[in-house]
Amino acid sequence: MNAQIQKVLVVEDEPTIRRFVRTMLEDEGHAVIEAGTSAQGLMDAGTRKPDLLLLDLGLPDGNGVELIRDLRAWSDIPVLVLSARNQEQDKIDALDAGADDYLTKPFSVGELRARVRALLRRRGRVGEQATPVIKFGAAEIDLSRRLVTRHAEPVHLTPLEYRLLTALLAQPGKVLTQRNLLREVWGPSYVDSSHYLRVYVGHLRQKLEDDPAQPKYLLTETGVGYRFQP
Amino acid sequence: MSRSIFITTLACVFVTLLATPLQGLLDKANIVMLFLLTVLLVAVKLGRVPAIFASMLSVLLFDVFFVPPRFSLAVSDLQYLVTFAVMLVTGLITAHLASGLKQRAQEALQREQQTQALYRFAGQLAGALTLQQVDELSRVFINEQTGVGSVLLLPAAGQESSLEPVSTTAEFAVEPRLTGQVLRTGQRIHSDQVGRLGYASLYLPLSAPIRVRGVLAIGSDSAEGKEVPVNHGLLDAIAALIAVAVERLHYVQVARNSEISLLGERLRSSILSALSHDLRTPLTALMGLSDSLQLIKPPLPPVALETAQTVHAQAKRLSDVVGNLLDMARLNAGDVHLRKEWQPLEEVIGSSIKLLDSALREHPVRVSLPADLPLLSFDAVLMERVFCNLLENAAKYSAGGRAIEISAHADSEVVVVEVADRGQGLPVTLPREALFEMFQRGETETGIPGVGLGLAICKAIVQAHAGTICAADRDGEGSVFRFTLPIGQPPAIEGED
Repeated sequence: MNAQIQKVLVVEDEPTIRRFVRTMLEDEGHAVIEAGTSAQGLMDAGTRKPDLLLLDLGLPDGNGVELIRDLRAWSDIPVLVLSARNQEQDKIDALDAGADDYLTKPFSVGELRARVRALLRRRGRVGEQATPVIKFGAAEIDLSRRLVTRHAEPVHLTPLEYRLLTALLAQPGKVLTQRNLLREVWGPSYVDSSHYLRVYVGHLRQKLEDDPAQPKYLLTETGVGYRFQP
Repeated sequence: MSRSIFITTLACVFVTLLATPLQGLLDKANIVMLFLLTVLLVAVKLGRVPAIFASMLSVLLFDVFFVPPRFSLAVSDLQYLVTFAVMLVTGLITAHLASGLKQRAQEALQREQQTQALYRFAGQLAGALTLQQVDELSRVFINEQTGVGSVLLLPAAGQESSLEPVSTTAEFAVEPRLTGQVLRTGQRIHSDQVGRLGYASLYLPLSAPIRVRGVLAIGSDSAEGKEVPVNHGLLDAIAALIAVAVERLHYVQVARNSEISLLGERLRSSILSALSHDLRTPLTALMGLSDSLQLIKPPLPPVALETAQTVHAQAKRLSDVVGNLLDMARLNAGDVHLRKEWQPLEEVIGSSIKLLDSALREHPVRVSLPADLPLLSFDAVLMERVFCNLLENAAKYSAGGRAIEISAHADSEVVVVEVADRGQGLPVTLPREALFEMFQRGETETGIPGVGLGLAICKAIVQAHAGTICAADRDGEGSVFRFTLPIGQPPAIEGED
């Protein structure tokens, strides 16, 4: 791991939640910057240069989604969104605005730790040579040769299936919204035809997962989108 | 009448006096012309009867004063008989035509007045804000125009088929069977027999563009005894105007009601989300803080750590209950906005199993879905709740190691989904339907956590998707929960070329 201390900015209006998040992050060896409002958060993100942003979507002084949009204009640090249940649209908006992942309240310290680790690890990996071969489960995808195998047997994917697979694999661990994937794979006129996406993800699971009904790698984020979990 | 006969006589005598000194100068035929002119003028000015009288008097005067031998009815030259006949016939026809013209002009004038009155009436109705005003205006107007009484009957609040008078000031009664018939058929009914018994004798439907809005009953107020004008276009026009006014007021009311219910819904939903935030925030903090006690260095003594874990577990349990209560409140408040999308069932089953994860650790879940199961239209987040609740129940009520099976099959119009377990089975003391009621627990005395909302939530969600849900004992051992989702018309998926 990186020996350098990583800074995490926590934007959350509830001090008690900030407190246990801070405890967890410090236990992990990170430096924590706290902000109670989105204005303060945006300022801190600019001046203190954090490596990760934890953002509560229900801030009193405004929309967390706006903060992400502003931030994305000049920064690509990972953003983990904290939100309540029944706020699928908020999550989607936040992800479309550029957030990387989300956690639904109430969450456990263990979940939060896992997400934070994954995001910081990915950030550490940026700049590394991307490998042309990606493996998950019994499947192996050689991006340079456009070759997909499972248990060393070649698997035939249609062009759209392959394009969808590469779109998912390109951002491991990141939640990709339905609109995002539809636009990328099918084109802008298909953004409302979510059934295409669902059917094709089903095809990919049939061809690549051990148990398509209980996938381990091509995961559904219900009501939001999909995630490739390496 | 006698006055116009007198004027007519005067006119004829005047023509005679005028023509007498001119006898030498004028031809007889031209004298006849003068008389015919008189008849024409009389017809135009005074009407049919004086004109007929004028034509006869003219023939008489012409015969007596101008046809030789003068001053006698005798006629020397027989050809004058032809003159008389032509004169009489021409006079009569002139009288008829001219007076007809006059009558039509009068009718036109009357119609125009009626039309203007209707315009005024329509204007007044357009300004009416209540049904009482409409009733008042129409009663006054009908009485003004035709001299009869009227009653406006509209459906009683909440009941479409039973009519009630808006006000009861009329001197006659209204026959309820006839009004019902008019409302149903939209056809007017007229019956003098009923009228003689002290009821309204004419029943007109208030046919508005959308539907028949009520009935207008017309009867003569017995005091004045005025005849009810049965085939009066005016009454039909009035009924049509009232119908439009009533329908307009109806839609004003509908719009106002929906605005009120929209406001109510918005209020409910904002209270719910505020409540949800206020309940969840401290719970999130409680769970997180109790969790983070385990991270404290140096580590707490084991007893304290155990307490922290218990606090965490209890907070989690409370949070689940709060979540269920809020969900139920939301579903009950009618605040369910289904975000339906066409999707395979397999996906939501997979995500539900993944979500429960630790709760299902001891129970293998077997999913068997036919490959040709159609896409279904449902709200994935809510359907995930249904599966989670059913799986959680199955796991809670069956011993570790027992498998839970999920299967589905298409059955004509619906897809039937089954979640089956090999658990302790359904409680014998409860009717099956009662399981899906709120706060109903299978076994009230057990230590199994829960408040009895899981199945009620399932039922509310399935019903919101136009499906049904039921529970049954399973052959051998355990129970099976079965719900349906309508198949509908799945969208086509274009193949790849």
